[in-house]
Amino acid sequence: MSLQILPRGRWVGARVKRVEDPRFLTGEARYLADIQIPGTVHAAFVRSPYGHARIRRIDTSAARTVPGVLGVFTADDVAVLPPLASGLPIEGLKPTPQSVLAKEKVRFVGEAVAVVVAENRYVAEDAAELVEVDYEPLPAVTDAERAMAADAPLLHEDLGTNIVYQKTTTLGDIDAAFAQADRVFRRRFHTNRFVAAPMETRGCLSVYERASGQLTFYSSTQMPHMLRLFLALFLGIPEHKVRVISPEVGGAFGQKMTIYPEEVVIAYLGKVLGRPVKWVEDRRENLAAATHAKEQIIELEAAVRSDGKVLGLKARLIGDGGAYSFNTASALIEPLAAAGIIPGVYDIRAYQHEVIAVCTNKSPVGAFRAVGWTAAQTARELFFDEIARELGLDPAEFRRRNVITSDQFPYTTMTGMVYDSGSYRESLERALELVGYDELRRRQAELRQQGRYLGVGISLYVEPTAWGSEIALQAGFPFPSHDNATVTIDPTGKVRVAVSVHSHGQGHETTLAQVAAEILGVSIDDVVVEHGDTDRAPWGMGTYASRSAVIGGGMVALAAQEVREKLLRVASRLLEVAPEDLDIQDGTVFVKGAPDRSLSLFQVAFAAYLDGRVRAEGEEPLLSATKFYDPRATYSNGCLVTVCEVDSETGLVHLEKIVAVEDCGTMLNPMIVEGQVMGAIAQGIGGALYEAMIYDENGQLLTDTFLSYALPTATEVPELIIEHLETPSPVTIGGIKGIGEGGLLATPAAVAGAVLDAIWPAGRTIEQLPLTPERVLSALTAETGA
Amino acid sequence: MERVPITVTVNGQTVSAEVEPRMTLADFLRDELGLTGTKLGCEHGVCGSCTVLWDGAAVRSCLVLAAQADGAAITTIEGLATEGQLHPVQQAFWEAHALQCGFCTPGMILTAVALLSEDANPSEQAIREALSGNLCRCTGYQNIVRAVQLAAERLRSSS
Repeated sequence: MSLQILPRGRWVGARVKRVEDPRFLTGEARYLADIQIPGTVHAAFVRSPYGHARIRRIDTSAARTVPGVLGVFTADDVAVLPPLASGLPIEGLKPTPQSVLAKEKVRFVGEAVAVVVAENRYVAEDAAELVEVDYEPLPAVTDAERAMAADAPLLHEDLGTNIVYQKTTTLGDIDAAFAQADRVFRRRFHTNRFVAAPMETRGCLSVYERASGQLTFYSSTQMPHMLRLFLALFLGIPEHKVRVISPEVGGAFGQKMTIYPEEVVIAYLGKVLGRPVKWVEDRRENLAAATHAKEQIIELEAAVRSDGKVLGLKARLIGDGGAYSFNTASALIEPLAAAGIIPGVYDIRAYQHEVIAVCTNKSPVGAFRAVGWTAAQTARELFFDEIARELGLDPAEFRRRNVITSDQFPYTTMTGMVYDSGSYRESLERALELVGYDELRRRQAELRQQGRYLGVGISLYVEPTAWGSEIALQAGFPFPSHDNATVTIDPTGKVRVAVSVHSHGQGHETTLAQVAAEILGVSIDDVVVEHGDTDRAPWGMGTYASRSAVIGGGMVALAAQEVREKLLRVASRLLEVAPEDLDIQDGTVFVKGAPDRSLSLFQVAFAAYLDGRVRAEGEEPLLSATKFYDPRATYSNGCLVTVCEVDSETGLVHLEKIVAVEDCGTMLNPMIVEGQVMGAIAQGIGGALYEAMIYDENGQLLTDTFLSYALPTATEVPELIIEHLETPSPVTIGGIKGIGEGGLLATPAAVAGAVLDAIWPAGRTIEQLPLTPERVLSALTAETGA
Repeated sequence: MERVPITVTVNGQTVSAEVEPRMTLADFLRDELGLTGTKLGCEHGVCGSCTVLWDGAAVRSCLVLAAQADGAAITTIEGLATEGQLHPVQQAFWEAHALQCGFCTPGMILTAVALLSEDANPSEQAIREALSGNLCRCTGYQNIVRAVQLAAERLRSSS
């Protein structure tokens, strides 16, 4: 396979305005809740108000008598449905099967216990209020370390423990590294549990046609084909009679890449009731019962030479997995991913990690942009800042002394990641230059004299992208995958691209059209991109983990290239020249060097379909190709620098600016890249300063509205300065890398680093994010004795 | 449940209906009139996705009842473009890449329209404050602020 098939020209690399935008701008776009099918009935779930309780009895009789109610269902009514469990083939990982409606016990606030279906949502909610569940409250455990204690309340009694995984791995000569160290440092961080909070909540609509046995399932999902597969298996419907349609999706960020119990229940009820059944989650449900993310307790230990060289690292990573080791990738999704990336961009040749996954009485943990890597990056970068200061080194200089340099690529880390290329040191230097680092340090010292607290935070990162089989393996999650694209030129010469990667804000209808247009020599206006419907898009995994630019771009390039060759073979017979002497531009096929000998794409395509004489022996008439792509592992990188000032009276953090230098290889559309970076940075600001899911000791969720769970608004996000470096990957088609997650991977470290820098040495006492005014102020007060 | 008769002007059209007293304006627009461009992101008045114009002012349609809208003139996102021409704010959102998933976009655009009708030349800070009642999880707001600046510029030079 040629990696060079993707040229850069008129379309690839251009700031093309998004072709999908008009329907969003005018309100025509149809999300799940907007789909109206005659005869639809509506579901409302009854959810646990307890973090941990035994279900003694459920009385649905009052709810059933409400006019307009079609049915009330509990675990007993859906007993035919198998429990959900993680299928990840990792030795030593204990499964925690989850009944789709809670059976015998509830294990977190918000767990679905029953579901009411009624003629409209208002009536469904009225009736849900009348479902009486008799609970016997049990002691809850909401702290991962406490959950590991021998006397902790057990979530899954049959396991005899809340620890679903624990394993230590030693890479390199860790004892020698620590024996040779001049200094050894230790630090503990507790990264916060925060959530994707897409503006559109989850939802689904099940339409079952009894006569044909066909299930059409609409869902706000990131992975329609995976959902189809699992629905077929869970419901016992042959897969070819299941169609999943993911309409417009109002943000997902990983939260919608799982098979949710609610989806299985609703799909089933559509079949049982013979009426379309719709469920649209409300915000409280989303905050309580959709997957949470990113909470870990990470203890780091570093063996360091006095010149700042890190000789070895030890990490203990405890993932707080919530009530179930969830079906996406289990409770390992956070700590195992984190363990792999702890060394990051640094040249560290001895490493030991202990990965622990624990169940607690909280919502299960799933994917959220930069899974595991956010926590790992935050802990390591803040730790390195601290080591630098202890050694009397500038944090930037400390990084220079440890960073992997460009002459070391390809670089294999101790955890088996193969960094293909990048600009680690270069991005650091460029970011420092852009932010005016030396001047900032001078200003910081001056302001400190005046009792003002200015801080600078650096976060230098590498991001595994292109989530295919190889990188999944390198990151510790052995799950093979592949994705497919079909490119077709219709008889009129128009181009249709159908892809397995789903778009929920990423702009694939534009970027993937750019790829096809470039290769086929047509205008982007002559290309449509389809996705999200299993009947129209070819098979594949969907969109997550910064995979769609690389995988989508690559597979569209492959398919478009094959179609181009077919088209040119037809044209060569029409024009009586060799195919290699032909080119296509602006929808015209012409003889190189003799542009007047030409045919329109329409003429060639029309002949290909309808004029049998131009078809060679054995040639297929359709101008169509379906190609798969499962890329080699590739890694993006970048550097963020944050400047902030901390108000020592209130503890409030004012962000002045964030500089982001990123390198995602070849860019399909820089405008879209910048959009990804800026959006991810804003989420990272939320994670650093504002967002946290808080449970009390009884397992009660205290943050179940957008008042108590605070997202950044336009006034909290400062000026963002973005600059691109472009180091094309030597191992992917077109050199594309991917950049979906870098911003959220790196920002909490950069922002928290700036805050801790501002208030140093008080910063050393803070070990938990987010950096709320209370935490900042209490650290400052303790330090200054004020 | 007794129903309440209302007459509302929605996107220039007079609509008469009988609604349940507890029906929200958002549900009325979406479920009764089929105007699903108005989005529900939180249903407790924080996210701003359901913002519509009520006699020209930005209002959260999840927090008011349809019955309260009797006699009001409501503009939803569907009523903003005229004769196939995008409103300058819509056009600016497109050009500045001020949307990704698009879910918050109708509310953002209508909030910006209300702002610009009151202040033709808002400062960046004023724009940020006016938008601070609308949550966006995709864009990081920077391009939204730029879009509003761009629209303001164009509206000033065209008036």
